[in-house]
Amino acid sequence: MKSQSERRWVIKYSILTIALALPLLWSFRWVRNYYPATVWDMMLASDLETRRRYCVLRGETFSGKAIEIRPTELVNATYARTWTMVNFTIDNRSLSLPSPHPDNAVLLNQFGGVGRLPPGVRIPDLLNAWANLYNKRLPGDSPDRLKAIRLDQYEWPGGRYADYSNYLMSWRKDL
Amino acid sequence: MNRLAEHKAVKWFSSFCNGSALSLGVARSFVHGTFLIATLVTSFSALGQLPVTILRPNGLMDLLSWSFYDRLLTPSGMFIFKGVMLLSLLSSSAGLFTSITTKLSFVLVLFYQGLVRSFGHFNHDEMLAVYFLAVLAFVPCGDAFSLDHWAKRKQPNKPNIAYGYPVLLMQLLLAWVYFSSALVKLRVGGMKYLSPDNFPRLAIIHSLDNLHDTSFRYAFWLPQVREYLPIVVGLTLLWELLFPLAVFSRRARWWILGFGVVFHFATLFLMNIFFPYQLAMYLIFVDWDRLGAWINRRT
Repeated sequence: MKSQSERRWVIKYSILTIALALPLLWSFRWVRNYYPATVWDMMLASDLETRRRYCVLRGETFSGKAIEIRPTELVNATYARTWTMVNFTIDNRSLSLPSPHPDNAVLLNQFGGVGRLPPGVRIPDLLNAWANLYNKRLPGDSPDRLKAIRLDQYEWPGGRYADYSNYLMSWRKDL
Repeated sequence: MNRLAEHKAVKWFSSFCNGSALSLGVARSFVHGTFLIATLVTSFSALGQLPVTILRPNGLMDLLSWSFYDRLLTPSGMFIFKGVMLLSLLSSSAGLFTSITTKLSFVLVLFYQGLVRSFGHFNHDEMLAVYFLAVLAFVPCGDAFSLDHWAKRKQPNKPNIAYGYPVLLMQLLLAWVYFSSALVKLRVGGMKYLSPDNFPRLAIIHSLDNLHDTSFRYAFWLPQVREYLPIVVGLTLLWELLFPLAVFSRRARWWILGFGVVFHFATLFLMNIFFPYQLAMYLIFVDWDRLGAWINRRT
């Protein structure tokens, strides 16, 4: 025979379990992530034939050196998400929202719609933020400070395990 | 007859609800503590310098207005937010005013995790721990192993189920992560998931850029052994499907968790993908009462 108190816990925990399980089952059923409802759909099957684009962040210092910059060392909060943040920014995803940020709405009006935007229209803003964070770490007269920062995009056409680095385009920001 | 069956079922189920007030208190401490350490070492003011115009609020995050994000996503806005989060997480980890601080920490972490996911993809690593926070926010996790207990504000005076079931629920959530992940892979990719090129391609595409957290290049070695990889991928899939055994079989538990540790370090070196939060949540399987008793015997 359960005590009154035990019964209360059973009811409380049943509600808690249902509240957690419902969004998880919904996400699982539709294979859709709708924050915070989560489906663990990482590392899905991929095809060798599919082409893959990727980016490398580089900087040019006042001393004339070209260096590779790891953005996760500048903004560690974006940990594990930096590569998709860049890909989404190249795809202008933040400008395709049903109600975009007011500044993005102005930009969309200027260009006449999402379809007319050049790829990565907000990438220069992102580059500027990274460059500022990089330079802030160094003394004002350091030759290692950046005078320009750029994002180079490459493509691996797929099909075989070779030709990984076919250059496509760059976004550059002079500081 | 029905009563007997019900009694047996309850008894069988209760045998898995063997967490105590101490286990639940330790769980609160390490789950909140994991977020506390992560928050301490994360630069929120650097995040506040990213342009708000690249943000794509996902799910519930879409309910907040742009003017709110404009005000928050500044170095000073994020610095204040970090301060509030640290105070709350410190209190909830230590078990101070537990009923309030566990709820506050849950809400703050839920919001922060939604914010960082609005910049990039829906990364899964921290999500299990966020679900653990949700559980801990609504259970008596401050009745032991807490400042509230030492200050005699809270005592472990509730029925066993009040402490045992939340631990079981968190173990089941952890099992669901792997089990459902295997099912989704099979549903979406079918047998293609076991093709010899699947794993090498996935590993290589995560090793090409300099935007991942690490830059290991071992992935480029995988095509040389591609004919053996379907066996490795198949075994990994089987491990994911069998993960629920870790909840119900003590004997299988340590083998399954051990494989998990090897798996996550393998994805780090081969794919530059790591799940440190998820690995930390494996601690939910530790029998803290037994460990406590063992330590007491030794001292």
